[in-house]
Amino acid sequence: MIVELIFCFMATVAFGVIFNVPYKVIWLGGLIGSVAWFIYSTLPNWDISVIFATAIASLVSATISHFLAKRYRVPVTTFSIPGIIPLVPGSRAYFTMLAFVDGNYIEGLQLGIETMLQAGAIAAGLVFALSVFSFGKGGIGQRYESRRS
Amino acid sequence: MNADRMMDICMLAGEIMLTYGAETYRVEETLERMAKSAGFKNVHSFVTTTGIFLSFDVEGNDVMQMIRVDDRMQDLNKVSLVNQLSREFVSGLLDGDEAYKKLEEIAKAPMNYSPWLLHIASGVAGGAFSYLFGGNLFDTIPAFIAGFAASFSVVALQEYMKVKFFAEFMSAFLGGAVAILLVLLGLGENLDQVIIGTLMPLVPGVPLTNAVRDLMSGDLIAGVSRGAEAVITALSIATGIALAIALLL
Repeated sequence: MIVELIFCFMATVAFGVIFNVPYKVIWLGGLIGSVAWFIYSTLPNWDISVIFATAIASLVSATISHFLAKRYRVPVTTFSIPGIIPLVPGSRAYFTMLAFVDGNYIEGLQLGIETMLQAGAIAAGLVFALSVFSFGKGGIGQRYESRRS
Repeated sequence: MNADRMMDICMLAGEIMLTYGAETYRVEETLERMAKSAGFKNVHSFVTTTGIFLSFDVEGNDVMQMIRVDDRMQDLNKVSLVNQLSREFVSGLLDGDEAYKKLEEIAKAPMNYSPWLLHIASGVAGGAFSYLFGGNLFDTIPAFIAGFAASFSVVALQEYMKVKFFAEFMSAFLGGAVAILLVLLGLGENLDQVIIGTLMPLVPGVPLTNAVRDLMSGDLIAGVSRGAEAVITALSIATGIALAIALLL
């Protein structure tokens, strides 16, 4: 587990270099990525589905990103992009593609739907953190007008 | 301040932010705040993934300008620098000329990290992800080399190819081919994990995250177009690797 976390830290910092994150905050992105990976790989041991674990990991990393972004006065993407990178369903996407190449369309569809669900879970976590942190800033894209007099 | 001058400053700031991967709402908010702080009324901005429109009122006349943004790259350092600059401008620490000079410096500034470090980082990311997705320590070596090759080829090909997606397709193909050849030569054991690790540095992380953010803040056009960009990138990577597998296995 500790080896995995170290590898995850390295991978996330490397992604920080690829996306050119500023020097002084790049290690924080690595820490957020490690936290996300820890949650994502620990929760399935307790009978929690992988999709739900992804959503929770994404929510936690997005929340930490919002706090740190306020603290260090940088755009929140500086932290949230490296933070969610370990959750990206690269392995499922690859096996989906492999199944389609081999002509196993049923298996490919199943894996493809799992891939989409995991991507959706990442998005859900991001959006949940976003909506909590934009609380009280005035709505955008609201369906009902709430301040009717 | 002179309206033309202010328009130039705003447009340059917006162009830098949008080119290097800021979310649409951040660009709109930055432009509106900067123009309002300079004393212009009736400020409106409309930002999509490929262009910026900005208009404001100058002594009864409306001034409006648009700018087209063709390149989309990933450089979060520049986004945060412009963010910082706009904050200083709004709070009055900078005047217009200083701000414009600083923006030009930011636009020309090189990446924080040298290209070689970037390729090595891609290799490290490839190796580390091949381990995380179930490979063993021995698999990290071919994944490192193949990730390095994929990153190197995507940078080199983008110089010559006008179509971004084809460069990504080719680099996925080359990275996959290197990975398969290395495993066939006996370096590394789990072929699948090595290939997954190789592909991870090519994943369109910035467009994906920004697409979600844009859609949720109500910028539907920008969100859908950015999402389309991310999906096409992912598809071209998948096609490239599928071609490598079909040819070499």
